[in-house]
Formats: sequence, structure tokens, C-alpha cells
Amino acid sequence: MTERVLVVGELLTDRLSGSTVEAIGAGARLAGGASSVVGFLAGATARSRAPEFGRYGVTEVAILEDPACEGAPVAALVTAVVAAATELGTETILLAGTSFGRDLAGRLAARWGATAATGVTEITRVGSTLELRRPVFGGRATETRRIEGGRAVLALRPHAFPSATEAPCETRLRPIVAPAVPELLRAAHRTGLEASPGGAGPGLAEAAVVVSGGRGLRAPENFRLVEELAAALGAAVGASRAVTDAGWRPSSLQVGQTGKAVSPQLYIAVGISGAIQHLVGMMSSRVIVAINSDASAPIFKVADYGVVGDLFQILPALTNEVRRVRGQ
Amino acid sequence: MEIVVCVKPVPEGETRLRASADGASLDPEAVKFVLAGYDESAVEQALLLKESLPGSKVHAVSLGPAPRTEEVLRAAIALGCDAATWVDSGPAASPDPIDVARALAAALAPLPHDLVLLGKQAGDDEEGLVPAALAEFLGVPDVGHVVDLRWDAGRSRFTFRRAVEAGQETWEAPAPLVVALQQAWNDPRTAKLPAILKSRKVPIARVPPVALVPGVGRSQSVRFELPPPRSGARLVDFQTPEQAAEKLVKLLREEAKVFP
Ligand SMILES: Cc1cc2nc3c(=O)[nH]c(=O)nc-3n(C[C@H](O)[C@H](O)[C@H](O)COP(=O)(O)OP(=O)(O)OC[C@H]3O[C@@H](n4cnc5c(N)ncnc54)[C@H](O)[C@@H]3O)c2cc1C
Ligand SMILES: Nc1ncnc2c1ncn2[C@@H]1O[C@H](COP(=O)(O)O)[C@@H](O)[C@H]1O
Repeated sequence: MTERVLVVGELLTDRLSGSTVEAIGAGARLAGGASSVVGFLAGATARSRAPEFGRYGVTEVAILEDPACEGAPVAALVTAVVAAATELGTETILLAGTSFGRDLAGRLAARWGATAATGVTEITRVGSTLELRRPVFGGRATETRRIEGGRAVLALRPHAFPSATEAPCETRLRPIVAPAVPELLRAAHRTGLEASPGGAGPGLAEAAVVVSGGRGLRAPENFRLVEELAAALGAAVGASRAVTDAGWRPSSLQVGQTGKAVSPQLYIAVGISGAIQHLVGMMSSRVIVAINSDASAPIFKVADYGVVGDLFQILPALTNEVRRVRGQ
Repeated sequence: MEIVVCVKPVPEGETRLRASADGASLDPEAVKFVLAGYDESAVEQALLLKESLPGSKVHAVSLGPAPRTEEVLRAAIALGCDAATWVDSGPAASPDPIDVARALAAALAPLPHDLVLLGKQAGDDEEGLVPAALAEFLGVPDVGHVVDLRWDAGRSRFTFRRAVEAGQETWEAPAPLVVALQQAWNDPRTAKLPAILKSRKVPIARVPPVALVPGVGRSQSVRFELPPPRSGARLVDFQTPEQAAEKLVKLLREEAKVFP
């Protein structure tokens, strides 16, 4: 009998996040079919949104219809996820590789008597052994971890797994009745939310395409050249620390050792020299493009494609070309 | 306020990596171990809070083998931490991250802790698992991706922001709290020579890790691979910017197949 895999879903503006859909795909491959994947969804809209799992062939979704777990610490969820996993008799839980999944993984594993890994890019099963691969040291090495049986909580690296294929089906809902979470564990709470600048675009960590600008842009007002290219590509905007330190853009956009780690399909670095502290945040991107006037800039050593030229000329031409081929 | 900060020794960022002969572990060529990047920020945050709240104490805790673990704890003391506990893991390689959290929790539980500060993720294994697992074993709530952490003395609450995909969230929470810090200071303080000398004399409590719990899932690192060095960028040759743009887009679409 194949083992069932539980996928904890995350909603982004009322849809399953792209990373959740990738986790469903990974779970289906691991369990030998989407019908062996069980979804989990929590929050005020859990019941109405659970059928979203059915678009990908998932026939059963455990739900925790509890508005209180929104804007609460992940501890508010863990009891219910464990209850669902126990009811379903699964040994493996997959999570999206977003901040939600990463925050949940450690607590869930500790409670459930599992091991855990994050940033996972490959999973293979040999008998009862799971073998995982994941980049470490900022993408400078790849680690293989082995789990010889027992429970495992795995948070997947965004874009490492293909999305689940669409195979619409009916979903059965399984409301989870979990013991109450002690008041102490849910004591922290959210009091507000400021959407990211350029909020409509994809988040930096999850975006399939990232366009980042550096000091080569020379002044804050020129940064719009980067933003225009990003908009034409439907990409997220990133920045080097030179840019965020100078206050041209908020530090939430910083990519690198002391900023965000990203691993998109395509990373375009514009006017960025490629200091090691920047490289460790983006080196595991699938394809890297560098645009820089200095042919000896270190960024060209890690890039797949390079344009040695003046960004003030190249960028507008590139944005136009992208608009043209995308019919905008 | 009683603050505990967890710090992990990691190979310095510039260290060149090399896999061991059997590929099972990673031998940093230059064995200089330092505080993990975010841990340096966690120490800075702890010290800023301590300075703003008279009577506060900061206790640094680290799990790992000799001598690197003791070294980073001395570095934390030289920066201004008041005391330190070393959980001596012995030479055994690559413990399971949840076991690390369990051992840290056992060492930390007897210490007073209104706030436990950790880095968001360590620069070596990049798991980001220890903070939440530690909080679970301590029975304390945890929050991750935290920036701008403050203590509102009037209302006896921490206030902070979280940098997540959707944007910046504002939060508040009473003590005790476990915080995984995402913030990086541009210039965390550096230790002064007299403080470094003095830190050598501060006693460090040394405790063994707790025995492994049988029957729980456990992972073992079995192999490290270094990617073949990238061969360097393929440069687009062009006469005009328009031509550069056209050629690049064509390469991305037809060769790299990434163009959306
Ligand atoms: C502890 C520590 C942590 C750090 N963390 C980070 C981090 O997380 N992220 C990060 O990014 N940095 C980080 N840094 C800083 C890092 O070392 C570099 O200083 C920074 O990345 C440089 O940013 P930059 O490439 O934009 O600027 P520069 O290095 O100044 O590069 C600008 C580039 O623009 C090019 N250029 C100039 N004019 C043009 C033009 N007209 N057309 C095309 N190209 C042009 C230049 O040739 C140059 O290569 C950290 C540093 C330290 C010490
Ligand atoms: N061996 C350790 N000793 C002390 N703190 C640790 C240890 N491992 C991890 N941590 C803490 O947990 C954070 C996240 O680490 P990790 O889960 O390994 O990515 C680090 O930034 C440290 O604050």
C-alpha cells in the first residue's frame, strides 16, 4: 500500500499559494498519485477554500475552521496539523517553502516526534528511506540528507518542484477537532499589515523571475528602470545592499547574506558587482543574467548570460523588447 | 529583563568549501569559525535591549564541539553578554536539527528567560528549524522573520514587525517569547581589546547534551557536493542596445527556456 502524504496549504489572497501547488505535485509523486495526498487548510475561510485542492486531484482535505489562527503564532495551528496527521496515519508532511512553511516546520516536527528539513529541492524514496537534497552555504554546496524511516516534515524550496497538474475532482472535507491550544502559546498576535511596495507583484521569495538593481543605477529615481523591466516581466524587484543601505529602496528588497535568499527561474542583476555577500543570496537561481558596464565584475563569473554595457541604454531597450514579445 | 541568545559557530563567510575525501562532510579549508550572520544581529539586538532596560542580563547559549563553540561564546561575552552556557556536543557530526533544539531547550529551561533570541537561519545548514522547535520544547510561543523588536514597558509587551511575503506585519506579544530575528544591522558592534581579554576569564558553564530520544524521526547528512564552477557568462555581442535586448530575449526564450 502506498503511504499517504499530508500537504499543509497556504492561502495567498484566497488561492492556494504557488508553493502549495508545488507541494501537492511533490506529494503526488512521492505517494504515487494525487489521490494519496491529503490536504490541510486552516483559517476562517478553510471550508470555502478547501475545494481548491480538488483542482489538483486531491480528494480529501482536513480543515480547521478557526479564524483565531490567523494573525496568531504558528503554535495555534500545530495541534490541529498533528491531529490530522494522526487521524490519517501519515508519516510525511510537506509544506510550502514560504515564511509560513518555514516557521511551521520546526514547531510541527518538535511536537510530532519528527525530523524536519527546509529548502528541499529533491526527494526520493527507497523503501522506507527518504533521501533529500538541499542547497546549503548560500548555494555553494548541495547536501544530501537521509531519513531512515520515521516521521518527517519537509518544507520545499520554492520553484524546485513542478506544480501539480490540474485534474479536477470532488473533495471530501474532514473537519479536525483538536484539543484547545493553551492561551500562553497563542499570546502573540498581529496588529496590522502594510502590504509590500509593489504589493500586487509576486513576493521576492516566491517569484519565478527577479530583477535586482545595484549601485550602478546611481540615484534612487533611476531605480524605476529596474521596476519597469520587472513590471514588463511580471517579476519581483530586488536590490543589492548598496541600494537598501543608501535608502533608495526598503531593506525588505535586499537580496543576499543579510537580506533574502531567492532561487527564481530567472535572476537579472543590473548594475550589481557580485560581491560574495550578494551572490550567496541568489546563486542557486536557475538562470542568471548580468548587465554591467565592467566586463571584469565578479557577477559575470556566476551569470549564465551577460551583457557588458551601459544599463541606462540596455535597460530601456530590454524593457521595450520584453513588452513587444509579450504583446503588451 | 532576562534575555537568552542562541549562537551557532559557522565557518566564516569567505571560507572556501571543500568536500571531505568520502564526500560525507564538508571541510572548510580555513577553519575560522564565527558567529552565524543573523546570530551576530541577535546578539546586537539583545545588547540594545539590555542597554535600554536597566538591570537586564544577557546569557549566550551554544551547542557544538570544542574548541569552536567555546570560542564563539567568548566572542559573545566580549561583545557584552553577561554569561554563557556551552552544550558540549562532542565530536559527533551533523546532529539532527530537532535534536539540537531539544538539547538547547534542556540547557535553557533552568535559566530565567523573558526573551530567547535566535537568528532566522544559520548560514551553513540554512535550516531555520531550531528557533520554532526550541520554542515548542520550552512551551513558549515563537515568532519568526522579526525586525524592529522593542519592549513597551508601559504595556509590558514586545512590539515588533515581521517581514513576510505579503509585506510588513506589526505584532505584539507578552513575555516569555522566542524570536527568530531576520534583521541585520549594518554595523553590529565589535569587541574592544580590554573586553576580549576580560572575556577569557569569564567562566563558561559546560553541560552535556540530553540523551537522544528513541523512536523519533531523525535525519543524517550523508553527502556534500560542490557544484562545478560556473563556466562564466556567455556574453551577448551587439552593436546597438536594441540588438542586445533582442539577442538576450531570444537566448532566454529559445536556449534557456525561462522566458515567461
Ligand atoms: C557582513 C556583510 C553583509 C553583507 N550583506 C549583503 C547582502 O545581503 N546583500 C548585498 O547585496 N550586499 C551585502 N553586503 C555588501 C556587499 O559586500 C557589497 O558591498 C554590495 O553587494 C555592493 O552592492 P552593488 O553591487 O550594488 O554595488 P557596487 O559593488 O558598487 O557595484 C556597482 C556595479 O555597477 C556597475 N555599474 C556602474 N555604472 C553602470 C552602468 N552605467 N551600467 C552598468 N553597470 C554599471 C559597476 O561596474 C559595478 O559593478 C554585505 C557586506 C558585509 C560586510
Ligand atoms: N548549535 C547551535 N547552538 C546554538 N544556537 C543554535 C545552534 N543551531 C542553531 N542555533 C540557533 O538557531 C538559529 C537557526 O539555526 P538553523 O535552524 O540551524 O538554521 C541560529 O541562527 C541560532 O540562533
